[in-house]
Amino acid sequence: MSSRRLIVVLSATIAAACGSAGPSEMFPAADLARMTWSDVTNRARGSTVRYAMWAGDEARNRFYQGPAADALRRDLEITLTIVPLADTSDLVSKLVAEKAAGLDRGSVDLVWINGANFRTAKQAGILWGPFVQALPNLQHFDPVAFRHDFGTSTDGLEAPYEQAQFVIAYDMARIATPPATFAELRSWIHDHPGRFTYPAIPDFTGSSFARHFLLHSGEAPPAAFAEHFDAALYARASRPVIQSLHAMKPYLWRKGETFPATLAELDRLFVNGEIDFSMNYSPTFASDKIARGEFPASVRTFVPDDGTISDYSFLAIPFNAPNPAGALAVINTFMSPSHAIMRAHAMGGLFPLRLEHLSEPDRDAVDALPRGPATLPLATLATRRIQDAYAEYVDRFERDWRTEVLQR
Amino acid sequence: MPAIRAAAPRVLALVAVATCALIPVGTVLVGSVASRWYWPAVIPAEWTLRAWNYVVSGSGGIGGALLTSSGLALVVAALAVALAVPAARVLALHTFRGKRVVLFALLLPMLAPPLAAAMGLHAVFLKAGLADSFTGVVLVHLIPAVPYATLVLTGTFSGFDPDWEAQARTLGASPWSVWTRITLPAIAPGVALAGILAFVVSWSQYVLTLLVGGGRVLTLPLVLVAFQRGGDEAVAAALSIVFVAPVLLLFALTAPLFEDA
Amino acid sequence: MTPTRPRIAAMLLPALLVVIGLFGLGMFEVLQQSVGLGVPVPRESTGPTLSYYAAVLGDREIHASLGLTLWVACISTALSVVCGVGLALGLRHGRRAKRGVHTLLQAPLALPHLVVALATITVFAQSGLLARAAFALGLIDAPAGFPVLVNDSAGIGIILSYAFKEMPFIALVATTLLARRGDGHDEVARTLGASPWQRFRHVTWPFLAPGVGAAGLMIFAYVFSAFETPFLLGQPYPAMLPVVAQQRFMSVDLADRPAAMACALILTAIAAVVVRLYLAAAGPAAGRERPVLF
Repeated sequence: MSSRRLIVVLSATIAAACGSAGPSEMFPAADLARMTWSDVTNRARGSTVRYAMWAGDEARNRFYQGPAADALRRDLEITLTIVPLADTSDLVSKLVAEKAAGLDRGSVDLVWINGANFRTAKQAGILWGPFVQALPNLQHFDPVAFRHDFGTSTDGLEAPYEQAQFVIAYDMARIATPPATFAELRSWIHDHPGRFTYPAIPDFTGSSFARHFLLHSGEAPPAAFAEHFDAALYARASRPVIQSLHAMKPYLWRKGETFPATLAELDRLFVNGEIDFSMNYSPTFASDKIARGEFPASVRTFVPDDGTISDYSFLAIPFNAPNPAGALAVINTFMSPSHAIMRAHAMGGLFPLRLEHLSEPDRDAVDALPRGPATLPLATLATRRIQDAYAEYVDRFERDWRTEVLQR
Repeated sequence: MPAIRAAAPRVLALVAVATCALIPVGTVLVGSVASRWYWPAVIPAEWTLRAWNYVVSGSGGIGGALLTSSGLALVVAALAVALAVPAARVLALHTFRGKRVVLFALLLPMLAPPLAAAMGLHAVFLKAGLADSFTGVVLVHLIPAVPYATLVLTGTFSGFDPDWEAQARTLGASPWSVWTRITLPAIAPGVALAGILAFVVSWSQYVLTLLVGGGRVLTLPLVLVAFQRGGDEAVAAALSIVFVAPVLLLFALTAPLFEDA
Repeated sequence: MTPTRPRIAAMLLPALLVVIGLFGLGMFEVLQQSVGLGVPVPRESTGPTLSYYAAVLGDREIHASLGLTLWVACISTALSVVCGVGLALGLRHGRRAKRGVHTLLQAPLALPHLVVALATITVFAQSGLLARAAFALGLIDAPAGFPVLVNDSAGIGIILSYAFKEMPFIALVATTLLARRGDGHDEVARTLGASPWQRFRHVTWPFLAPGVGAAGLMIFAYVFSAFETPFLLGQPYPAMLPVVAQQRFMSVDLADRPAAMACALILTAIAAVVVRLYLAAAGPAAGRERPVLF
């Protein structure tokens, strides 16, 4: 580790031990209405922002500790400190406990969050905001797409940041043409017993995979599941889907007697030829793994014609963030075209910004982004995109899957 | 032939021990430099230093985690031994009412699920302002570390003869002299062993550090699990080696102590 | 010169205070939350309730989980004891290799369970190293042809992983005991014409039983409490009890929290029973074992 890095680590540790360093004051979110954006950046200038983020990805860690942090220091004199997390739900549990204990000054300014974690956080009242309306770079994002997160309305408590879309991976050396629709996938599974599986719920990706069958059940178009919960619709749509998932079990890997617990396990089975498909929320995951030597070079991804779920991930500010102004400034920077382009170069992923609002040079830069051999073009992904279901559908479906499919 | 018949079980036993000892380390070592190691290849198709480059570069919090793990384990070991020595002496050399209860109280925290106490202590520490702090994690690591150290030292003290101390005192030695010249040298191997065990207990903790440290006290096991869950097997393997190497070294260097203490 | 009671108490107090104080504080909080107090979950009434315990004890998943955990704990312990004692007996004679063997036996003790679990997957999975060797030898022609040893319904992978680590521990305990005792009794029995099995059953085993039995109880308790190994090597359903408790605790649905606490308390109660049995079994030698269980 270079001595410079060592110094950064040590000073961050000392700073953390002594409390936050630099000018940073807490203020209530309601004050935002009376502040201009330059007020925010003035408060943020020269401060330290602690960003809690999942640390299990090498490229992500390198990017945020390197180019992203450097850019923030250069442009806003902000020091970005990463708080590594093994799982965002750890931080959510911690914040809930902190709120219950009345801890008004926390240790994290910014957190990468989405989905069920956001819902828990919002319900428990542990987020600072609403703040999204104050961010100048919000214009780059499609408002409809981020009004809801996993079916929960965001209410301005989290800002869109990265976008993901569910894709399925296969090996060209083993399968010439993948199934074109989910129905065709189901027939494929019947015709090739033991060659497919998905991670067990409560795994996030496994849950999404199963949920596609609910959204494409035919009872109603996928959009009908997006805004609110209709118990009658759920009952009508879920029953045949759960039954068919249960009927599918004997044709799965290990005759459905067990399911892999994690995506890591699923990928291991895929790579070793025990199953023929893998799946992931990042459209570039296969290209990344090919580059890292974890997938063979013949792996490609596809998205069934009926469409797959696309979700944003978000940035939120804990209720007891010591430096909300800094967090706001960092969030806005992360939503900027320059950061998004830099991030796409470093980490791949789906480019989340609206192309129409970009300047000419930015749009050219996006076009010029390297696309790995296994990554689908943006246009393809955009035309096969459906919105995720309202949170209550997800909960019920997960519970029904565990009792009716897994445990029977 | 009787000589071979006598040797056979020993050879078998040696092979079994070597297997237990070396295979896990061997597979993890190879996994850390393997690339494209799919079925049915028994040896990897390609080799790479990507994982080790990343680990050595220290990014991803690995350097910091190493520092934290070491510092934490050293403090825990020192404290655990300091607390354990008087307690072990009493347990080994004297009988008293309630001894069974004391033993029970020491053994239960060692064998009960660490998750249970950690879940409860997290909430308690929050109110006391100890959550997410190095101090909080030190305290929580002491829960398994002190019983281990006490058990080891109890064994040590049971072979210790307090008459030597009595003799030295009748000859006019001061209590401090007695301690440094008679007692300490006699129990030194046991103290070293207890310290090492306490060190390794702290070094290996996952659940306790995760829950009470809240991710702010980042130790090697936490980083290891994050990478393992993320599916990067090579980096997880390299981190496993970094995780295990100091412990193996400590145990190898102090193997004689296991016999003497 | 026996020290006075207060002096004994003073020497014990620091260690006890730290261990019992912290552990007790933690368990008290767990107890509170398991009856519904102090949890940020919407509830109808405000007093303590046993409803979470009732729900947990009546849960089919918990029953299956408890059964699996008992099975894995018993078999792991038995396997470790049998193989560990066998190992110790096999290594009994032969002075030269003594030190080297002792050192070699430390290695598995030094490996954390997490790493051993990961290695178990690498070696024993259907597409793991053993299977690949079998394929190279022409014994099987696809991963599916290799027996299911990890993520299986009987917990074989979990048992293998635990036995791997705990067998050297038992071997060390047995070796130490045997070394202390020497070969005298065994020699006498042999000159009287006893067979090896008779010598073991009537001379050696009764001597080893208390120490080895006590160490075995420690292993049993540990298997009931550990989380990483069954998470990596087990099935999603039924999962071992520590995994179920952990999953409910980490569940995003905070309503699961009291149930998780109840599970944790039940597990601790089981550990307490085992410790009690251990103290009874080990008798005066209690507390002399040097466990290496991490």
